[in-house]
Amino acid sequence: MQHGKYRFIVGFLVAPLALYAVFVISPFVQTFYYSFTNWTGISPEFDYVGFDNFEFLWKDDLFREAFFNNLVLLIGLPVFTVLLALLFAFLLNVGGTGAGVRGITGNGFYKLAFFMPQVLSVPVIAVIWSVIFSPESEGLANSFLGWLGLGPYDWLASPDMALYCVLWVLVWGSVGFYLVLFNAAMSSVPRDIFEAAFIDGASRLSTFVRVTMPLLWDTIQTSWVYLAILALDAYALVFVMTIGPGGPDNSTQVMALRIAQEGFQNGKAGYASAMGVVLFFLTLIIAAVLLRATRRERIEY
Amino acid sequence: MNAPRPYPRRVFLRRAGLSALAVSGGSFLASCASGGSEDDGERSGGGQEQTSENPFGVDAADPLHVVIFNGGYGEEYAKFHEELYTTQFTDAQIEHEAITDVRQQMQPLFNAGNPPDVLDNAGAEKLPISTLADTGQLTDLTDLWDTESIGFDGMTVRDTLHPIAIESAEYAEKPLVMNYALQVYGLWYDRALFDEKGWEPAETWSDFMALCEQIMSDGMAPMAHQGKYPYYIQQVIIDMAVKHGGHEVVYAIDSLEPDAWQNDSIRMAAEAILEIKNGGYMMEGTEGLDHIQSQTRWNEHKAAFIPSGSWLENEQASVAPAGFATTVAPTPMLDGAALPFDCTRVEAAEAFIVPAQAANQAGGLEYLRIMLSKEGAAKFTELTMAPTVVNDSAEGIDASPGLASSLALIESGGDNNWNYYYPIWYSPMDPKIQTAVGELAAGRISADEFCDRCQEAADETAEDPATQQRSRP
Amino acid sequence: MATQRRTGGDISVTAASHIVLVIWSFIVIVPFAWALVASTKTTREIFGDPWSLPADPQWQNFESAWDNNVGEYLLNSVIVVSGGVVLTMLLGSMVAYVLARYPFPGNRFIFYLFASGMMFPVFLALVPLFFVVKSLGMLSTYHGLILVYTAYSLPFTVFFMHAFFRTLPTSVAEAAVIDGASHSNVFFWVMLPMAKPGLLSIAIFNILGQWNQFVLPQFLSPDKPLLTQAVASLLSNQRYRADWGTVFAFLAIAMIPVIVAYLAFYRQVQSGLTSGTLK
Repeated sequence: MQHGKYRFIVGFLVAPLALYAVFVISPFVQTFYYSFTNWTGISPEFDYVGFDNFEFLWKDDLFREAFFNNLVLLIGLPVFTVLLALLFAFLLNVGGTGAGVRGITGNGFYKLAFFMPQVLSVPVIAVIWSVIFSPESEGLANSFLGWLGLGPYDWLASPDMALYCVLWVLVWGSVGFYLVLFNAAMSSVPRDIFEAAFIDGASRLSTFVRVTMPLLWDTIQTSWVYLAILALDAYALVFVMTIGPGGPDNSTQVMALRIAQEGFQNGKAGYASAMGVVLFFLTLIIAAVLLRATRRERIEY
Repeated sequence: MNAPRPYPRRVFLRRAGLSALAVSGGSFLASCASGGSEDDGERSGGGQEQTSENPFGVDAADPLHVVIFNGGYGEEYAKFHEELYTTQFTDAQIEHEAITDVRQQMQPLFNAGNPPDVLDNAGAEKLPISTLADTGQLTDLTDLWDTESIGFDGMTVRDTLHPIAIESAEYAEKPLVMNYALQVYGLWYDRALFDEKGWEPAETWSDFMALCEQIMSDGMAPMAHQGKYPYYIQQVIIDMAVKHGGHEVVYAIDSLEPDAWQNDSIRMAAEAILEIKNGGYMMEGTEGLDHIQSQTRWNEHKAAFIPSGSWLENEQASVAPAGFATTVAPTPMLDGAALPFDCTRVEAAEAFIVPAQAANQAGGLEYLRIMLSKEGAAKFTELTMAPTVVNDSAEGIDASPGLASSLALIESGGDNNWNYYYPIWYSPMDPKIQTAVGELAAGRISADEFCDRCQEAADETAEDPATQQRSRP
Repeated sequence: MATQRRTGGDISVTAASHIVLVIWSFIVIVPFAWALVASTKTTREIFGDPWSLPADPQWQNFESAWDNNVGEYLLNSVIVVSGGVVLTMLLGSMVAYVLARYPFPGNRFIFYLFASGMMFPVFLALVPLFFVVKSLGMLSTYHGLILVYTAYSLPFTVFFMHAFFRTLPTSVAEAAVIDGASHSNVFFWVMLPMAKPGLLSIAIFNILGQWNQFVLPQFLSPDKPLLTQAVASLLSNQRYRADWGTVFAFLAIAMIPVIVAYLAFYRQVQSGLTSGTLK
């Protein structure tokens, strides 16, 4: 046993925890407090109302619709983002021809290009895609599909399509980062392991599935959870890109948008805080479930 | 890895402990913040002798904090008003701020109890004004209304204002908000284009349909609208309904009367919009466009009419081609209309308030009085090409087509012009109405369904105990 | 090292790979390029004729952006984000390392405490946060923003670095301990270098996240605006004054430092990828 283990632990944790407690925990806790009041958000005066906000929330149809829309995102976003990022990581690192495990040519270019969406901030992405998704037949998406003999579609103006357009843009904006992440995780794995699998005659695909993925599992699991959280917290994109926002016909309404609308436009900050508390516990539960369900033994090497 | 443990519960229990701590901490904060926030009727600032030149007894030594929303109307006019203030109260220090994020910057000030003396509460991030009114955070403007106005001999401020401004200022029968600009709503078109084609805005519905047909055969879409914000096309529906059924239609809506939205006039107006949509007269793809995109198309003559308000000309100033004459036309009359053609909704917008907790309320009131002076109002119109709520303030100004046609409609409509307030009074209800409007304008629901959905939203609002019910007239 | 003959299967896999990758490249580059080109167009062209090149490149959009203080905002953002990311990575890795490698009572609790920070919509906590920052006298200051940015980036950083530290082999650390290294020495001289690819990718993400953050500075730094906060204001202002050309010019300028940072870091990540076996 090393000396000073606990001193080390404390020493390393004190400063970050203090910073975190002051700037993050304390405001969050105060928000929990506000959820039991009828605070308007713009006045220092308010009353304690107990669980009224939560009771009202239980019956709130619009919040329920938002919740179900978030569920769609919750399933779609992690699945498609992780799959695509893994696919590209696979292709870039193992898709090359020739001896052993070789990356594909043009590797560098692809890695740079795929990262570009990350560079744009969310409102910008929203503007760009809403122009691409213009329902006019000269809109980019429609004219492109027009060559293929499809469309034109209403995209964001259609209550049936709008949510999936939002999902698509979220995926589009996320893949780049997870690609970089998976690449980095893969690089921590010593090359010998891959070479060994090859010598044993494994195909590229089975190497990837049987060797790479388990070693990456911690990273995949973490990414999954984080994307799930993103899906539950989606706000800025929906706010800027959708009709209404939240439409058409509430088809893109999401919980975070409801919170902003109630808190900022309707002067019901107490109610919005209650929604925030519910969202928080929901996220916590879902994250815990996901972590449990995807848990595996750590592979030591 | 350790054996599984019920982490969520353990975490929750610890967090419950933290919450208990927070509750006591939070109430401490609340008691700190709420100290001295009562509006005890005493006006802050002032203290000098109240004379006819200085009716509020403003002390030049007291600083004045003015916050302007730097949007469509800019901030130049405010600087002029501030100059007028410092001319009268020499050496007065004015802190002038022109911002776009009203809520972000004002919310903390209101919570801390030191809001500005004058706030132009406008823009996408404005504070919810009915909440401010209901919680006693706005200064009563009655004294301002009763004071002598500057530049109009022998008239009180109230006398100089358009009746709609007086009406829209009131919450629980007290004037609390000074709405400064008049906004005229209608169907906008390019006068130059219409002159060239020999078209005229139609007065009756059947004439309007015929005009649409004519425009279509010329290769242009008769109407576009700002699909992303159903608020614009909603205007047209309600306007046609009011013109048909009279002002009672919106009185009932604003008063949350049962079946207010099931009114036949509203149903007819909804049918009318469906006729336009189903007749193919709506510009293709308009449902997905935002205001800049659709208005830009309109500037490019892809559509003949677009619903909007008198800010339109200014907003599209850098986009519209030379020679484009932005002009307003009233909405057409449905069969059996109670009101004549020449009237429309006129809104008093750009809300200026003097918060109750401001440090220099007297200065704030005086500043508003200066804004409402003949000189002050004229300058605003000159700089923004928008009418103010002060009657005849635009005399002698070289009006653009947009301004000229707006003023003409304010004039010709007279008492027939109307306004409505439910989006401000019952803000949770408005998005639901807009959702229904969006579906109607896209032709996805019928007129009956539209009325049902709006009525449902209204009924929900009426039943919500948190709603402050108001009534009209 | 074994070699394999190039097979037909090999070539078709490669070809298919290229096709897929090219398609995605297209999907990714087109929107990005559109935004860049838009910075040289007039508002009418941007929305009237979105997919054509400008008739007359409007370089004055950039002048207009400069007149609107884009240079000052850029500097503010660079200072805050540099400080913020450095502090975040330092503190975040310290916490993540301790939590990943040292079991002790309360370990899981602290981990969840940090992780749960990501699960709460930040904008709800803004008003209380404002008062906290104000009471510390840190409104509209560089250090105030840096500390707040760090605090809010800790959850994500700790969460991800934790996973990275857990995938590192224990053998090397054990060897160092046997050689008599202290805990902090092991951390700084052994584990941190091994986690470099992870550190770099999380650092990049933090750079992006902090750079693009606009909600926090809107509330906490009204007098010392950051670039993205200015952009967000401009964008919301577009409801009232259509001047999209300047907005996109601002955006183009805002993109540059991030791309530069990515390129600089990226070569590091790249070298991490080819370093292969660890000693």
